[in-house]
Amino acid sequence: MAANQPDQTPTDISRRGFLQWALASGAVAPAALLAPRGAGRAWAQETPKKGGTLRVGFYIEAATMDPHLSGSKIDRQVYHNIYEPLVVLDANLGIKPGLAESWQQPDPKTLVFKLRRGVKFHDGTDFNAEAVKFNFNRMKTEPKSVRKGEVASIDTVDVVDASTVKLNLKRPDAALLATLTDRAGMMVSPKTAQERGAELERNAKGAGTGPFVFVEWVKDDHLLIRRNDAYWNKQGGPYLEQIRYRPIPDDTVKLQSLQAGEIHVMDYVQPRDVAGVKADKNVVVLDVPSLADFAYQLNHTRPPFDNKALRQAVALSLDLEQIVKGVWLNVGVPANGPIPPTSWAYDRSIPFIKRDLAKAKAKLAEGGKPGGFAFTMTTNNIPINVQEAEVIQAQLAEAGITVKIKLVDSATLISDGNGKNFEMISYQWSGRPDPDGNTYQFYRTTPGTSLNWSGISNPQIDALLDKSREVASQAERKKLFSQLTRILQDELPMVFIIHPIEPKAFSPRVQGYDPIPDGMMRFKDVWLK
Amino acid sequence: MATILVAPAPSRSVRDRRWGTLRRAARARLAPFGAAVMLLAVAAAVLAPVVAPYDPLKQNLDNTLARPDRTHLMGTDNVGRDVLSRVIWGTRVSLVAGFGSVVIAVLVGGVLGLVAGYAGGGVDNLVMRLMDAVLSFPPLVLALALGAVLGAGLTGVVIALGVVYTPTFARLMRGQVLAITAREYVDAARALGVPGWRIAWTHVLPNATAPIVVQASLSVAFAILAEASLSFLGLGIQPPGASWGSMINAGRGYLQQAPWIVFGPGAALFVTVVGLNFVGDAIRDALDPRLRV
Amino acid sequence: MGLLILRRLVATIPVLLLVTAGVFALIHLTPGDPIDAMMAESVDDSVKRELRRDLGLDRPLYLQYATWMGRLLQGDLGRSIRNREPVIENVGHRIKPSLQLAGLAMAISLLVATPIGILSAARRNSAVDRVGTTFALFGICMPNFLIALLLIFVFGVTLRWLPISGYVDPLEEPWDGLRSLALPAITLGLALAAVITRTLRSSMLEALSEDYIRTARAKGLSDGAVIRRHALKNALIPVVTVLGLQLGTLIGGAVITEYVFALPGVGRLVVDAVFARDYPLVQGVVLLIAVGFIVSNLAVDLLYGWIDPRIRHR
Repeated sequence: MAANQPDQTPTDISRRGFLQWALASGAVAPAALLAPRGAGRAWAQETPKKGGTLRVGFYIEAATMDPHLSGSKIDRQVYHNIYEPLVVLDANLGIKPGLAESWQQPDPKTLVFKLRRGVKFHDGTDFNAEAVKFNFNRMKTEPKSVRKGEVASIDTVDVVDASTVKLNLKRPDAALLATLTDRAGMMVSPKTAQERGAELERNAKGAGTGPFVFVEWVKDDHLLIRRNDAYWNKQGGPYLEQIRYRPIPDDTVKLQSLQAGEIHVMDYVQPRDVAGVKADKNVVVLDVPSLADFAYQLNHTRPPFDNKALRQAVALSLDLEQIVKGVWLNVGVPANGPIPPTSWAYDRSIPFIKRDLAKAKAKLAEGGKPGGFAFTMTTNNIPINVQEAEVIQAQLAEAGITVKIKLVDSATLISDGNGKNFEMISYQWSGRPDPDGNTYQFYRTTPGTSLNWSGISNPQIDALLDKSREVASQAERKKLFSQLTRILQDELPMVFIIHPIEPKAFSPRVQGYDPIPDGMMRFKDVWLK
Repeated sequence: MATILVAPAPSRSVRDRRWGTLRRAARARLAPFGAAVMLLAVAAAVLAPVVAPYDPLKQNLDNTLARPDRTHLMGTDNVGRDVLSRVIWGTRVSLVAGFGSVVIAVLVGGVLGLVAGYAGGGVDNLVMRLMDAVLSFPPLVLALALGAVLGAGLTGVVIALGVVYTPTFARLMRGQVLAITAREYVDAARALGVPGWRIAWTHVLPNATAPIVVQASLSVAFAILAEASLSFLGLGIQPPGASWGSMINAGRGYLQQAPWIVFGPGAALFVTVVGLNFVGDAIRDALDPRLRV
Repeated sequence: MGLLILRRLVATIPVLLLVTAGVFALIHLTPGDPIDAMMAESVDDSVKRELRRDLGLDRPLYLQYATWMGRLLQGDLGRSIRNREPVIENVGHRIKPSLQLAGLAMAISLLVATPIGILSAARRNSAVDRVGTTFALFGICMPNFLIALLLIFVFGVTLRWLPISGYVDPLEEPWDGLRSLALPAITLGLALAAVITRTLRSSMLEALSEDYIRTARAKGLSDGAVIRRHALKNALIPVVTVLGLQLGTLIGGAVITEYVFALPGVGRLVVDAVFARDYPLVQGVVLLIAVGFIVSNLAVDLLYGWIDPRIRHR
């Protein structure tokens, strides 16, 4: 399986008139991830129809409706339909105007946004520069704000005029714009936020500017949003009358609900189901490449992985191609590092670490364990992780390395990681649009608790990461990230496994869905046939 | 789950009764089937290395989810391991989970019940309120939390389930103690100066054994099932080992494409649980004097 | 009678105290932390510290327990950490589906178990008995998630007779509501039917061997009349016990059924809370389930007296 081989992906518009993006049905060629993105974004020539309720199945319940207090991925799925960020992502991870019409960077430490006029929050108040200032202040000062870290580089916010706002930065931050495409850039109505207080977490009525307005949320049952008829953007949707989100925790049941027509959309299809679903004419599958990297962090602060040679022995004993094919059924590509193929910073000239048992044995000897060694790997007790762990266990056994598998639930996994109470631990990062979000917090020397579970502290890596935030040019940054990837392959704070694809499945009635690699489902232009 | 048990009246000598019991148990038609199943399961567990056709851990990623055929009688699982071999080896884990947890429950619950029933008063009150408290926890939640505290793995599961079943046996034992110590011959023994532990040993335990054996055989069946439920909730056996429950759980996502990876362990579990129930029922029918026709 | 209830209620106080201590210790001993679990993708240490301080999680455990108990005595169960709603509201939203599911499951189990139980006892050791008792075992011989998935596969996916997942309130839309609860209720009902069949069979056998039944038979009453008029009523007592004991279990213990069928019930709430280490929610819900269990046991005892006046005098 050559990941670099160019492969023209057929864009299958045929099946029931649904847009197939990037990967077509049948064998999933990983190389297709690298195919020109946005290719085949051609709609079936039909006029969108207004009305209808879209029923969406998710794996878990949202946690809060307040984007500034949100710490879980699932919340964002709802937010992207009721709130809007200042800037938005396109399918190539480019930054496009959102609530901000345009922006300028007169110097590396200043960012000026020109805001869209005539936008109103759902509560009827105006969206303007004051509102932007209020939001950034809220993110920075609200004690429970989870956005603090993301907006840390913003020093002060100046209201230039009603539709112009200036962010003064403490330091250059090349990743800031990309960060503002998500929760940190989402604008909440100051009036609603102040009046409702903590209630905003469960009731987002009036709070957003987006194409849909919040209606009700019955925990564990459904969350309902309705079309915003006063939406500022008169081009395209929103078409749907309502969207009804439902948590369906069991993957199989969720898929069956889709096949039976009880739901129209599901957020994620398990790799084991992909082939079967693609053969089902009642379901349309869309392989959305993700920003994610799935890896295992190695604990540098204690034996055995404080020993670089032993880390390398593990990496060299792993057969990523076999894992990706056998466990993930090719729903993803072997990872060469933390940056996914969807990113502009992905360097396809760097191969992933290939299995080489002879070299692995040499490294074992170099690390003082010629006869092999034993360690414990901690992973989440979910079927595909268990399966992957079993395959890794068998692969490492061939190199004389004995793996004991410790299965934990995710709360335990996180505290084991934060407490550096592990030897090797599963880490599945959902990814961020800017490569900074997949690297800095994992590899930068950080005191205290951080996502740098491995405890790596390497001056060269630190310097590269700091520089990548200061340099503005994308080409320049890409070189820095390539350099970083090579060092990571040698130092191995993590062994990288896969950049997964996140297949989503739809009823054939669903039209007009435009996938963005951040995996968030924006339903503005979606309609039901 | 509560099963109503009727204490047998210790009329004739214990030895006599035991023989009668066995004969009656054997007479019930379903009992031999149950006994045969249990023998088979135990044999499979003990002889696993000999009878399993393949290494249960040997993966073959080029032959995953293979249909049952002559080489793999129950097919292969999601990493290409032979399902039949894993079912045979899984017998060990499932039986250990089932019997292990019940043994813990019988020992701990039995002793607590004996002490409570015998001591009476404050001790009785304390022990029994404690048992009530355990009983009023939702059982799966209790097992789940205990398992999380103890860490996943067979030991955690066995202890967690053992705790869940303990109150059943404590209550049962206490009831037996109270019923038996009220009898005249025990009074007589006490009047003769026989020490308490001796009375417990010679009179209480032999009489309490039968109902406890009945309850235990049913509890083992429940425990084997409960282990599967815990697997579903993410508290299971450490891979690459497997119990029937964890195999069913790992395979449930493949129910449509490769049902055989669930059918193998599912059938083993089903037959064993049915067998245990038959055995339990037969012993109970045989023991209950009022049902002797 | 009133005094009896009062005495029984007082006796439950130590049990409930033990439950509070037990659940508090258990959930706090579980590795993991609610804030970490909630903020899986966040690095910011100071925010987490702030949240922990705000919730009092940074204080010694005995103080946290004392605070919780203090509020509990004022009737305040606290708020969920994850969704910030009061525990009582969390339960309030979910108790209705749980009760409806439990009720329907019981109805189904009685419908299945009563004829099988009576027939097996009346024709003891006949083919009817053996087939009946074997059939009754089906519901408890497979893990219930497997039964649930099989039911979904047959009735939801293949035949398309019944909806697969989700909840519709039968009080608002009776037909759709009953349909939405049908498969989960069958899943639970089958397991319950197994227990009830067996209980009914043995209590029937016992009742049939009583002297007054022999007398009735000797008087020439037919088998059917004997069972209907005399044996059944007495045989029902243990069945009521089992049902009562199971009501508590059904409400808090339908975890897996609720999970598979995506029903917003109490069982799923408490298990999700365990996974999120949502301390106040776990503590509150377990305590409420325990209260429910104790109350249903008490109700069973009172019901005894009603069914069988002899017991009242004991």
